[in-house]
This record gives sequence, structure tokens and C-alpha cells, in this order.
Amino acid sequence: MNGGRTSRHFGRILVRAIITLLMVAVLNFFLFRVIPGDPASLLLGGARISVTAEQMKAQRQNWGLDRPLFPDQAVDYLSATLRGDFGYSFKFRGRRVADLIVERLPATIVLVSLAQFIAIVCGVMLGLYAGWRRGGAVDHIATGASLLLYSTPSFWVAMILIVIFSTALGWLPGYGAYSPGVSTRSLDQVLDYLRHLTLPVSAVALGLIGQYVVVARAAMSDVVTEDYMVTARAKGLTGGQMLMRHAFRNAMLPVVTLITLNLGYVVAGAITVEAVFAWPGIGGLTVEALNARDYPVLQGVFLLLGASIVLANLVADLAYGILDPRVRQ
Amino acid sequence: MNKWPFSRRAVVKAMLLGSAAPWVMSSKVFASSSCDDHIVRIAAIAAPDSLNPFATSSSFWPLIFTYDFLVGSDAQLYSDRKGFAKTWSVADDNLTWIFKIWPGLKWSDGRPATARDAAFTYNFLLGSIGKPDELNIGQNSTNGMEQIASVAAIDDETLQIVTKAPTRWLIDNSFLILPEHIWKDISYADARSTFRNDPPLVGTGPMIVREYQQGQFVRFTPNEYFRTGKPATAGMILNLFSTADPIAQGLKSGSLDYALSLTAAQWDDLSKDPDIVVGQVPTEQRNYLAFNTVSGQGKGSTKALQDPVFRDAIGFAIDQKTIVDRAFRGHADPGAGLAMPVAADYYSYLSDIMRRFDLAEAGRRLDAAGYRDTNGDGVREDKEGNSFQLELITGTFATVIEMPIAAVQLVAGWLEKLGIPVSVTQLDSGALTARTVAPADGGGGWDLLVAGSWLSRSPHDILALGSSKQIGVSNSSYWTNDKFDGLLSEVDRTVDLKKSRELVDQAARIIYVEAPYIMLCYPSVLEAHRKDCFKGWGTDAAVSQVSYFPFDRLKPEPTP
Repeated sequence: MNGGRTSRHFGRILVRAIITLLMVAVLNFFLFRVIPGDPASLLLGGARISVTAEQMKAQRQNWGLDRPLFPDQAVDYLSATLRGDFGYSFKFRGRRVADLIVERLPATIVLVSLAQFIAIVCGVMLGLYAGWRRGGAVDHIATGASLLLYSTPSFWVAMILIVIFSTALGWLPGYGAYSPGVSTRSLDQVLDYLRHLTLPVSAVALGLIGQYVVVARAAMSDVVTEDYMVTARAKGLTGGQMLMRHAFRNAMLPVVTLITLNLGYVVAGAITVEAVFAWPGIGGLTVEALNARDYPVLQGVFLLLGASIVLANLVADLAYGILDPRVRQ
Repeated sequence: MNKWPFSRRAVVKAMLLGSAAPWVMSSKVFASSSCDDHIVRIAAIAAPDSLNPFATSSSFWPLIFTYDFLVGSDAQLYSDRKGFAKTWSVADDNLTWIFKIWPGLKWSDGRPATARDAAFTYNFLLGSIGKPDELNIGQNSTNGMEQIASVAAIDDETLQIVTKAPTRWLIDNSFLILPEHIWKDISYADARSTFRNDPPLVGTGPMIVREYQQGQFVRFTPNEYFRTGKPATAGMILNLFSTADPIAQGLKSGSLDYALSLTAAQWDDLSKDPDIVVGQVPTEQRNYLAFNTVSGQGKGSTKALQDPVFRDAIGFAIDQKTIVDRAFRGHADPGAGLAMPVAADYYSYLSDIMRRFDLAEAGRRLDAAGYRDTNGDGVREDKEGNSFQLELITGTFATVIEMPIAAVQLVAGWLEKLGIPVSVTQLDSGALTARTVAPADGGGGWDLLVAGSWLSRSPHDILALGSSKQIGVSNSSYWTNDKFDGLLSEVDRTVDLKKSRELVDQAARIIYVEAPYIMLCYPSVLEAHRKDCFKGWGTDAAVSQVSYFPFDRLKPEPTP
């Protein structure tokens, strides 16, 4: 009986995710075409080049923009997307969108997942500790600093890091993913990549740490006032035992939700941070595609982003169902 | 009892120190830049898309460092700057041009670069005309080729081009001359789209593209067969950015040698750094206030916009000097006529017909023309009795110098003082383009436009802003004038510089009086270079915005 209920619960979640994804795919097509702008004129170099109306017409024909939006372009897009074909980039002159995304995705995944990992470890630990020792020095400092970091735009943090560690101290490079000319597949290249990665990861992680500290502290603060904590103390458990056996596990529920949802943004990257550090990831690709009204690339990137967020929600739903049996019922 | 001699805290400290070891051990960590490798590191806000000049017009940098123009504007202006041709001349018929190619010129792969390569490039374009895959979308395009009757290599050093009518376009255009042995087997269909021309490229320019990492950098190596000798630097790296802040910081830290696309505030800041030399390069860009002059589809909110007297009166309310001083912090020349100061052959301040900033005079002229505030509410009415409320759209078209919003605020402020309220709509380049295309293509519906246009300094491009053939493309005001079009057509068929100058002056006066545009200013590109690693930057228009100079002649500074 319970098994059937659980299967139906998971089945419902799965169907919901698939429907959401299909809606994202349809919306993707219209969303970017609503933005004013003509890819043909942007492809021809904007106001820098003296172009003729014939050139504009040729450019539109070249990329199929002269065909009716509906049904021609829309039907083509949807049928191709369902086949897993994201089409060809306008801006990058016929390169496959899938190839462009695959090329840029690793840089973003490395950057954001590493930042997430650091933020989760540092932020959650600090937040839980601050909530456990409410009113202490660590709590005051961590809460103040976290609110500051949480509310500061990450691109501004990025600039401050560049000014301090690249310009003033000269310790770390302030842009790019690696130094041109460094021999490939060598230890030098790995070290060079790590050095370039340090500041962007720090910029993303600092913002996330603030977020995790705030949530983890709030969760722990709620838990420590629960009746079962008083009972645990009355039973003679030590502080450490209370923390590990009762407080930690209960406080982790909202934190796990936040972590899971944030993982959905790993592929979306950190657009502003990537722009500041000229980091060659999905964020940079999105900005370039948006400036050029490169519809196929934008559609591909946002479908991927939508899919990753739907997947993260799916995982969160499933995890919640496993962690808290009441949800399944 | 405790067998473990280290505390957990000590172990964590050791791990943290260990993780920093790669950074500490690397010699490059504490020296983010070094002059020792003799590689010039430059930066710009740019996003090249393809290295195929038939398919792209967004990759001027880096292609310009690798390929030569046949002549180009720099070669006409500076005796020490040349392109693929060493000299050029036109016969008395003004139709037959002879270009003498540099003797012994070689491509970067060591093969001879001859007149046959130049003929191939032109004939490749000519041959595509009328075909389904006509090469009409890139920097090298068939646009303008209709003027050519024939192209032939007389011998290795002599290229002959015959035009159908007299024109200076042959020496003004910015087509890149390509090696026949690389391109001869490329089909028109591939050249138009899928052929990527991946590095290493083969060119006659000083720096050859060796590696291109999209969204990151372009790496160049010196061309050992460059016509004036292999450049003295060990190469060049063009770092690509989407914002100017890290560029300025890169210059300060020493990780960049040269930077373009700086803002006025960054420029001021960098000018205080003793290791940095800042510069400003006048450009062909014209920033203007345009009126929507169209009367049918796409018209503005009032018929007054179609009235030259109304537009002329507004011209008296625009203080170009204040715009330059306050919005551009002095990094621009005040606007006057169609021709910009860098087009020295054609520039005229039009002092005899120049409007002087005088708000009272502007008001008097509006009153006299019937645009008065009859109901005393502080807002003037048009001749139909409707109160003015104009929509001013603004933004920065792709690839031009950014339009500071302060300039727009000044313009709006002066109009408000005249009793003409203005609502400002700021748009990104894509949206701005969409609203300013020809009314037939869905553009128009706005009243005023503050924007910039950066075309070449050729007479054709100088007049393009008023060309009826360029409506919705270069002509953003939708203004048309038969006499102006006639003069433009005559300029296109004129080789003689003196006559060309007279024609441009006549056309410039017509459009100035009709006032579909009020020129605000001609902005400069702000740039800076470090002085510790390289010398030879030059002083007079040091860095060309239309070619590769002085990057062909930089020399490493001797190590102290």
C-alpha cells in the first residue's frame, strides 16, 4: 500500500518535471523574439559598417529569419529541439549550438561547483555553529559579515578582489582562464588554471557563504528551542551529543533544500562574475548571444538552464520525500 | 599515551599551507606580468565570432593584424603606413587604376604574395554576385563591387582594376587581401558561412593569428616575412573582455601593455599612474541628435518634426561645447557638420552658417514659426494645437563608442527649458537598432534619437547619414533630399579630391540647414599603454583605429 503511494508520489513529480520542461522549451522560442532587436543588423556590425538594405535582406535569408515566425520557424524549432538538435549559432557563423555549449560548460561547472562546495562547507558549518552559540562573538561576526556578503552584488565583490589581489598585491591573475602560451597538458597548465580560478571562485563563494550562513543559522536557532532539545538536555546528553544526534540533523532539512536548489544554478553560472573575470563559461556565452540576439544559442542555454533547475527541483522533491516520510503521504 | 604527536588543529594548518604551495612555488604568482617574454598584451571589449572575412564583420580585431588592405585610409594619410600595395595611380580616364604590389612580398608561410592574390580576392567576390551564395554579408563583401568592370594581375607586382565610373572607393574600402593558395578551393557556400578559417592563419600583416580561444584571447606570432622585417616583439595577445573595469585594473597591475575602450573616469585615473601613458584617438564617430522626419508610416508624435524651421530652432538650444566638457570630460570635438575632424580633407566647421548656442534665440525662432505656449502652461504647442511631449530614444549601437547618458540629460534639459518636455527611453543596441530601422521594416514611432554612427572617412560614408538609399541603416532620421542624393551620387563618381571636397561641402551645407541631425560631438577613443616593456608607440595618432599601426614597429625596452 505504502509502496504504491510512494510510486504514485514519485510518478507525479516526474510527470510535473517533464511538463515543466516542455513549457520551458516552448516559452524559450517566443521569449527571446519578444526582445526588440534584429540579429541580421547586429551580425552586420551595427553602426560601424555602411551596409545596404540588400545586405540586410541577404543576412536574414541566410539565417532563415525571413520566414514566418509561426508556424514555420516555431515548428522547425520545436521539432528539432525534441530531436535534441539545438540548431546553429547566428553569431558564431553556423557553429552547432550544442558544440558551443559543450565547449563552455566545463569552465562554468568547475567555477560554480567549486564555489558551491566551498560555500556549503564553510557557510553551513559557520551558520550552524553561530545558531548553536547564539549571541556569542562568532554569531555576531558571522551574522554581520554574512548579511554584508549576501547583500553585496557578486560583481562588486569580484572587482574588489581584483583590485586587492591582482592590481595591488599582484598575487593572482585578474582575468581569463589560463595564460596564453602555457604548455598544454602539463603541471604548469594545471597550476596556471588554478591560479586563474582562485579569484572567480572566491567571488562566487563569498556571496554563497553569506546565504548559507544566514539559512543554517536560522534553522539551528529554531531547532535549539524545540522541546526535544530540552528533553535531550534533561536526559543528560552533552552539548556535543545534542548537537550531533538531534540539532544538526533537524537543522539540515532547510539547508539541504537550499543546497539542492542552488545546484540547479551550477550550469547557469555566475554571469556577472564571469563577465568581470572574462571567464570563458556559459555566462559569457549568454552575454555574447544576448548582445547579438543569437536566438539558437539563447534557446539552447536557457533550455539547459531550465532543465538543470527542473532536475534540481526533482532531486529536492525526491530527497524531501525520502528524508521526511510525511511528505509522501 | 597520545601516540599522535600533532593536534588536529596543527594538521589542518599544515593542510592549508600545503594547499597554498602551488601558488607560492610558482615563480609567476607574485609577478603577474613580466617584460621578459617580449609579448605585447593588449585588451579590448570585443567578441570576434569568426576568422573568415567573408562571413564576419565583427572580427575587425584580430583580422586586421594578419591581413592587409589593398590601400586603406592610413596609407593615404601617413607616408610611413602602407597596405598590400606600395603605390597606386589612376589613368587620365579616371577609370583604370594601377596598384604596384610590394616587390618580394611574401605570405607568412613563405610563399610569394603577388598581384594575383589581390586579383583573386576581388574576383572571388565579383564571381559570387548574383549567385545563391553571394558573398554579401561579411567585411569582404560584394557591397561596392558593382562599380568594378574588371580586375586583372598584369604581372606579379601589378594589379589593374577598371571601374565602370570614376570612384575613390578602390582606395578607401577595407577589404582584406587573402592568399589564393589557401582560399582557391573554398566554395561560395562555405566562404559565406561554414568555413571558419581556423588558425594558424596565413597573411601579410605583422602579426599572424596562431590561436583563438573564443571569449578569451587571440594569440599572435610575428610574421617573419613582414615587408619591413620581422617585428621585434615576440608576439601579441589580444585579451577579450565584455566590460572595461578589469581592463583598467590589468593595465595598472602590469598584466596588460595596451588597452582600448576605456571610460573617461578610468582614463583620468590611469593618467595619474607614472608607468602608464594615456592617449585619446579622434575617430570617425559622429554623435548626433536626429529628428524623425518621416511623414507616413513610422512618423513621430508631431508634424513639427518634419518642419526644417522647427529643427533649426532646436539647433540653437544645443550647446556642443558643454556636451563635450561635461558628458565627455573633454574627450571629444564639438559637433558641427557631417564631416568629422579626422576626415581632414572634408572637414569644415561651417562657421558662416553655424548656429551658436542661444536658448533665447531658439525660443524666438520657435515663436516666430508658430510653436508658442498659447495657454500659458509652460509647454509649447505645435501648429495643430497639441502640447509637445516628445519621446527621445537613446543608446549605443553595436561597435561604437558608448553614449554617456549625461549627454542625453543635457539635451533633454535644454529642450525642457524651451517648453518642450521630453521623455527619455534608453535602449540596448539590439532594441535601438530595431526601433531605428526603416519604417517599412517596423522602425520609427519615436521623435528624437541621440546616438552615434561610426563609418569610414570616405566621402561616400561621410554623406551616408543623409542618403535616401541608407534609410533605416545609416540614415536614422529618414530624411530625404533629391539635391543631396544627386551630390552623393556625383561624389561616388568623382576621383579628383578637390572636386570631391566641393561636392561634400555642398551636401554638408544642405543637410546642416535642413537640420535632420544636430551634430553633438565627434568622440575620441580612450586608450592607454604601459611604458615599461615596449617602446615605439608613437605620438601622432599613435594607435590606428583602422589598421595595425604601431603594433608592427614596437620594440622591447632593454632590461635594466
